[in-house]
Amino acid sequence: MFFNFFIMYWFVGHKSKINQNYILILASYYFYSCWDWRFLFLLVFSTLLDYVSAMKIEQSKTPFERKMWLWLCISINLGFLGIFKYYNFFATSFAELLQGFGLTASPILLKLILPVGISFYTFHGLSYIIDIYYKRIKSEKNFVDYSLFVSYFPLLVAGPIERATHLLPQIKRRRKFNFEKAKEGIYQIVWGLVKKVVIADSCAIYANEIFDNYSTMNSLSLILGAIYFSFQIYGDFSGYSDIALGTSKLFGIDLLKNFNYPYFSRDIAEFWRRWHISLSSWFRDYLYIPLGGSKGNKLFQVRNTFIIFLVSGFWHGANWTFIVWGLINALYFLPLLLLNRNRKNVDAFTLGFNIESIRILFNITTTFAITALAWIFFRSKTITDAYNYIIRMFSDLHFSEQYFRIERYSHNLIALILVFVLVEWNNRNRIEPISGKYSWLKLGLCLAAIVALGVFSDYKEFIYFQF
Amino acid sequence: MKQFIQFLLKGLAILILTMILLDVLYTTVYMQSKSRNKISYIFSSKDKDFDVVFLGSSRVNNHFVPKIFNDQGYKTFNFGITRSRLEESALMLKLMVENNYKIENLILQVDLNINTNDHSEAIRSLFMPYFHTSKTIRNHYKDIPEYNKLLYIPFYRYLHYDARVGFREFYQTAIQKPTNSLDRDGFYPLMTDKRPMVAADLSKYYPKKNKAYEEIKAICKANNINLIAMTTPMCMETINRDYFNHINKVYPEIRRFENLVTEDKYFSTCGHMNKGGAEKFTKEVFNLLFKPKSKP
Repeated sequence: MFFNFFIMYWFVGHKSKINQNYILILASYYFYSCWDWRFLFLLVFSTLLDYVSAMKIEQSKTPFERKMWLWLCISINLGFLGIFKYYNFFATSFAELLQGFGLTASPILLKLILPVGISFYTFHGLSYIIDIYYKRIKSEKNFVDYSLFVSYFPLLVAGPIERATHLLPQIKRRRKFNFEKAKEGIYQIVWGLVKKVVIADSCAIYANEIFDNYSTMNSLSLILGAIYFSFQIYGDFSGYSDIALGTSKLFGIDLLKNFNYPYFSRDIAEFWRRWHISLSSWFRDYLYIPLGGSKGNKLFQVRNTFIIFLVSGFWHGANWTFIVWGLINALYFLPLLLLNRNRKNVDAFTLGFNIESIRILFNITTTFAITALAWIFFRSKTITDAYNYIIRMFSDLHFSEQYFRIERYSHNLIALILVFVLVEWNNRNRIEPISGKYSWLKLGLCLAAIVALGVFSDYKEFIYFQF
Repeated sequence: MKQFIQFLLKGLAILILTMILLDVLYTTVYMQSKSRNKISYIFSSKDKDFDVVFLGSSRVNNHFVPKIFNDQGYKTFNFGITRSRLEESALMLKLMVENNYKIENLILQVDLNINTNDHSEAIRSLFMPYFHTSKTIRNHYKDIPEYNKLLYIPFYRYLHYDARVGFREFYQTAIQKPTNSLDRDGFYPLMTDKRPMVAADLSKYYPKKNKAYEEIKAICKANNINLIAMTTPMCMETINRDYFNHINKVYPEIRRFENLVTEDKYFSTCGHMNKGGAEKFTKEVFNLLFKPKSKP
């Protein structure tokens, strides 16, 4: 089906931007309806709401009227997100709180399916509305163009969260086929598939076994479990982003970069500049800066930092584990903020045979270790599980290999992960490792890795589709 | 665009070539293997003579001790495979016949497995390396939805069944890593008893006519194999033991041995006996159905 849309786009619709946009909208709505057509109305409603609100904000004669339209639009958008994603969480948490005071409550829970991509397209639309409110951009009058901005299929279900300033100008002009860009897109898709089916899905088999049976695992297995999950979530999400960015390039549209080799970060601040970049920058621009950002005294900055990390954690899902994950990252960030070192590692680095390089490698390893520790909360079902997992990891102190019920040894994946890390390390200044010299050979190796090492019989949907 | 189409075609050619090469490599390695599992053993052996062959699931693999028969002058082998269903047992029997096995008696476990006509994906995987080589295997699977893909897309069979015949198994086969599946003439004893024992629940089970069982009966008849179909023990706590009574309503010829061992001390789990239970059960079955042979 994707191939059909590609053919239509470049062979039928290539003469005008209008045709191209209609074909992309058709593809996007088809793509979304493949998950659940019943939620198409929500997508259309969200599009209409933001489209109309943006024009109303622009046409408003008084600041009050502008503000009113802004908040109305934000409230409705967040209201939908709240009902679908957070209602049951708040209802059960409130009931538990009452139980703590000896009162009984039976909350009415809603049996709702979470519409796929709702967190992404809601934030997508909000950024547009806020940009209009602050007069950074003009509202889009063409409904087709605006609809495409919201529903563009490569980014619809799991981002990257685009900005109107970046995507709309591309939508508004006719795309011409560019061979180099399309080739780059194919390489990026192939590398994304390696990350997803070879790395993430292989790690998932081990991580699931270890996390689901953590009480019977020894220290070594628990450490490996945290490492496997770290690579699972990285391979899964950055793999999806690569596929999305690569697919979009095939249609002549560049999307925002979402990952920049985050596990090679030298401190947690750098990690957050490299991990899920479109969400981090969204929170920076639309929450952190409006809250005052790094202006004001330290206490004020600390408050803002904690707010964005907690909100970021909560954005991921309606569970206390995500909130604690956000809190832990805020705590990691705190010393850097207090010592004014949060922007210390913004430059690129090279390694050599010197003390500085050892220090850099040590910092990278330490940052990865603390990140992996925080991921335990992200992966665990409850805070108690995460706590017990960590306690057992540091108290069991047995480091022998374990043979799992899934008929594999705990350490089986280490070699694969090391090869992956080496490939990423050698290509950390590029988008993907395939292009350049010997690209056909590298493409062949990647394809061989996908078919020979990929996990196909135990398919797992992308983790971020649930957010 | 022309350049891009050429690029895509080249990429596709690389992919197809890669899949062909991998298919050849994997198949060659699997073909060399003779003892990784019971299926590779059957596939690579010919002209075997057996007085008794056991077929079925883990309830055969863990329950029949060939040594007890062998000590009485019989030549036996336990071909039971954990998780296999009657569909896989039927195919194993077909391969034995194709490889000119001479089998006098076939003891087939027919109890929980006639609750369904379904197959075991895990065990089906193990036949896949021989799919292109064996006409018997191809014929057996000619009606499954993936048949054409398995036949015509190179490497598809290893990709689709990667959990059991993917890279891990390929690698272990290539380095000839030994397994214990053929030790003790195919018997795998359960040494630990899981307590408290969780009762098996058969309340949703109901015996049905089974296509694979019918097939096995026909193969045995055509090849003069004495088929002894039987149930095997389950713990007394099993919910809805009445299931076993219904088995004879569907197939009256099935021998009822589920009560041959009843004490909990003989069970590892409710559906599987431990080593002691297996030995007791095998002895009882032998005494009921066979007589000691004078050893040559």
